[in-house]
Amino acid sequence: MLEIKNLKTRIGDTEILRGLTLSVQAGEVHAIMGPNGSGKSTLALVIAGHDDYVVTDGTVTYNGKNLLDLEPEERAREGVFLGFQYPVEIPGVNNAYLLKAAVNAKRRHNGQGEVDAFEFLKLAREKMAALGMDPKLLNRGINEGFSGGEKKRNEVLQMTMLEPSLAILDETDSGLDIDALKAVAKGINTLRSPDRAIVLITHYQRLLDYVQPDFVHVLSEGRIVRSGDKSLALELEDKGYDWVREAASA
Amino acid sequence: MKQQLLSIAGVRDAVLQLPNDALTPMREAALAHLDEHGLPTVRNEDWKYTDLGPAIDISNRWLAAGARLDVGGDMDAAIAAITATIDANWLVIANGLIDDSRTTSINGLEFSRFSERPTPFDMNRPLANLNAALLRDGLRIQLSAATEKPLGLLIIDSADEEDGVSQASIEIDVAPGCDAEIIEYQASVGDGNHYANSIVTLHIGRSASTNYVRIQKRARSHVQTGRISATLDADSKLRMASYDMGGGLIRNDVDIDMSEPGAEVIFSGLYIAGDGQHIDNHTKVDHRVGPTTSSQEYRGILNGNCRCVWNGKAIVHKGANGTDASQANHNLLLSDKAEIDTKPELEIYADDVKCSHGTTVGQLDAAALFYLRTRGLDKRRATEILTHAFAVDIVDRAPVAAARDAIATMVESRLADLVQDVAL
Repeated sequence: MLEIKNLKTRIGDTEILRGLTLSVQAGEVHAIMGPNGSGKSTLALVIAGHDDYVVTDGTVTYNGKNLLDLEPEERAREGVFLGFQYPVEIPGVNNAYLLKAAVNAKRRHNGQGEVDAFEFLKLAREKMAALGMDPKLLNRGINEGFSGGEKKRNEVLQMTMLEPSLAILDETDSGLDIDALKAVAKGINTLRSPDRAIVLITHYQRLLDYVQPDFVHVLSEGRIVRSGDKSLALELEDKGYDWVREAASA
Repeated sequence: MKQQLLSIAGVRDAVLQLPNDALTPMREAALAHLDEHGLPTVRNEDWKYTDLGPAIDISNRWLAAGARLDVGGDMDAAIAAITATIDANWLVIANGLIDDSRTTSINGLEFSRFSERPTPFDMNRPLANLNAALLRDGLRIQLSAATEKPLGLLIIDSADEEDGVSQASIEIDVAPGCDAEIIEYQASVGDGNHYANSIVTLHIGRSASTNYVRIQKRARSHVQTGRISATLDADSKLRMASYDMGGGLIRNDVDIDMSEPGAEVIFSGLYIAGDGQHIDNHTKVDHRVGPTTSSQEYRGILNGNCRCVWNGKAIVHKGANGTDASQANHNLLLSDKAEIDTKPELEIYADDVKCSHGTTVGQLDAAALFYLRTRGLDKRRATEILTHAFAVDIVDRAPVAAARDAIATMVESRLADLVQDVAL
């Protein structure tokens, strides 16, 4: 589904990704871990199409298409979803309005008609209840005055409504208490399916107790330096990132 | 370069053409004042950004062609459309001629004409001399009780091949204790050149409240100078919101005079300008005594080669202790050719006052734009949504409920048009 080969990017004069290679197949859940500044968020933003990042080398293919040729909105309509580490607040734009506009943009792209307003609201309310979200948040400005946990749940809500083929969640677990973490994990797990892929970017092993990854990768200085199964996450928790860095440079 | 001068001889001929009636002495006095003082020029600090040259050109051509009030096409369809959109007791001034046939006197609302009972006219207000000299007749309205529907004042002008000029003058008196709702709607028909000059004088009695909405939706070929002068008595309230949705060269003046304690004014404005437009909002609030309160917030969305001006002046006079005055102006620039001149002015001559002001000029938030795009919305749609988000607070503040839906629709369609021209 997603093939990244030797990806190099820079922002301004700083090179961040330095030859990253990653292959994600449908049905798989991948976890990408790594220390601060290793390039985890850059990878997420490059896949979503942020134009601050310049790709200097390498390829990113999504379902056989050159992803880098597509505008961010085209990527979204093709089924790529990014759950932001820091979701922006947009006062004056109703949360429900955005959800519906996003769902309809994707439906139109797929040659489907617009959603029925009543059915849409019903579905959104059900999904909010499952995530433990206050239904009032639907009628507030996007993330306006939301707590950190509410913002992350709102990202997961958007994801479950949009049902992406490829979901990238950038530190969706950070700043969540244990109940919120469980609710978010449940939301992610409902999306697991043979025709979908999920990439979890995280600092901590904690989320992976609830969303079991098929593969774990360690990102360091813009490259994947180690890959393994979920036991790698436990090993990292135990030994810290220095262990990987040393192993990589050895 | 010397500004083109208004032809006083032309105005004199036009005054002579008007019927000899009870207003003739006022017109002659105004003509003399105009001859002596002329019109404001860019050398005047309050007019430095707004050159009335186009208004003078249109006026001179109109005067030379015989100063007819019936230029332009039929306005009936346009009037019917507007009065059907907003449910109000409508009084219409079409090309400067009063038409009160749509509304008969109802309980709480009475109207008459200046010619029935002339009153002194304050010539010291800029452009009042021109208004009084060429005024066919003025409209006087007395509001003595709350009415079911708001009062609607439609000032509409039509111009096609021939240039047009019109004057409107409206005096409104809101009786003590009365709750009034007023809509002022400035509109146009045809795409010919027109200069419209209006003055609304509003007096709000003791403990009365007035909610006032002002909509300007004129063609790009129109010049408008419009003034609202409001006097607030003790414990009265004025809530006002103004929406500039069109126009070529627009200059709005809002003057608020609070001479008695307990008066409070809260007003806001939204101006949306695209290529070739010039929209100038000047406000002035006189706090002559305390405690009195004023609060204003104007927002602007600018695109293309346009210029907008916001100048908000609050004067806290000597002894006006307990004054609370706040001013804010926020602007969103969608083009690097758009220009905003924003200036809050506070003159404080009292000790115990609370005054604040803030202005901002910014561009679209790139992070918000990217966020919306990652949700599948294209750049133009995302831009439209974010500009709308910037405007929506002012739309929601429209103090006359009957006009709110119409304003929301107007703002939405104006922004959709504006965003079509944004370079993405």
